[in-house]
Amino acid sequence: MTDPDADLILRVAAGDARAGEQIVLRHSARVVRVARRMLGDATEAEDVAQDVFLRVWKAASGWRTGEALFQTWLHRVTINACYDRLRRRRETADAEAGLDVADPSDTPDEAWFKRQRAQRVRQAIAQLPERQRAAIALCHFEQTSNIEAAAALGVSVDALESLLARGRRMLKTLLADLGPDLLGDVGEVRKE
Amino acid sequence: MDAARFEAIVAAYGADAARWPEAERAAAQAFAQTSSEAQAILAEAHALDALLAADADEAPVSVTLTRRLMRTIPSPSPQRVWGVAAALAACAVLGVVVGYNSPQGDDPAMTALGAAFGEGFEG
Repeated sequence: MTDPDADLILRVAAGDARAGEQIVLRHSARVVRVARRMLGDATEAEDVAQDVFLRVWKAASGWRTGEALFQTWLHRVTINACYDRLRRRRETADAEAGLDVADPSDTPDEAWFKRQRAQRVRQAIAQLPERQRAAIALCHFEQTSNIEAAAALGVSVDALESLLARGRRMLKTLLADLGPDLLGDVGEVRKE
Repeated sequence: MDAARFEAIVAAYGADAARWPEAERAAAQAFAQTSSEAQAILAEAHALDALLAADADEAPVSVTLTRRLMRTIPSPSPQRVWGVAAALAACAVLGVVVGYNSPQGDDPAMTALGAAFGEGFEG
């Protein structure tokens, strides 16, 4: 498989700042999105993005094409940076960190309901076990291929599918009150 | 493709075929067209997909963050800059020397280049 980023990485390694800018423009949004979904905190996600790109520049000189897609490696570095931050949160018992709270002064119009719904979805995603959250962030929201996502998470494709299925089942349970169509087998899910 | 595998695919990847494994996508889509059971499975998965779409985060990276990330790009090291400058200087000297095509063997510039490039260099 041809790596569309290989040339840019080699140029970064050779000291080409323009290539670095291209890497940032091409990948920063994805890194921020994945980190925000993992951490539930937009500010912290930006800090992760900075850490991740510092890792990119450091790793560029040792990059060997043909071993892994750059994007797969980038996903892995991003997810691992998020795992580190989540572990530090647990160690400091700051369980509420990252859970944005909707502004109560908002007027309950259509936009308000839309924000509320988005907030509920984010809270549900935040309740998933970390590996399920990572799998959903990559496969569902970033539409990363199953093979690439499995490589980024360091698991088999079968294990990835198990993480995804368990994650979706839990989301369905957590969000059941938002959609009548979801109520179908929630009772069955809750017995698990 | 059988019902069990189709159900497993949808349970993991949802109702949108774009997310299904590439190797099985065509077979799964064909199965979905011919099975009422598959349609029911898809409808249920679609309901969750629609809810998750509320968190579709397509906002571009802010200019502030982009600048912050751009600032992390390492500038070429002084050693690399010096190496490039030295190479350019050598090329310039070489060009001047070749341009003059001096027959003088005792030209200091020729002597320096001969030392730099080895015995094979001839002006």
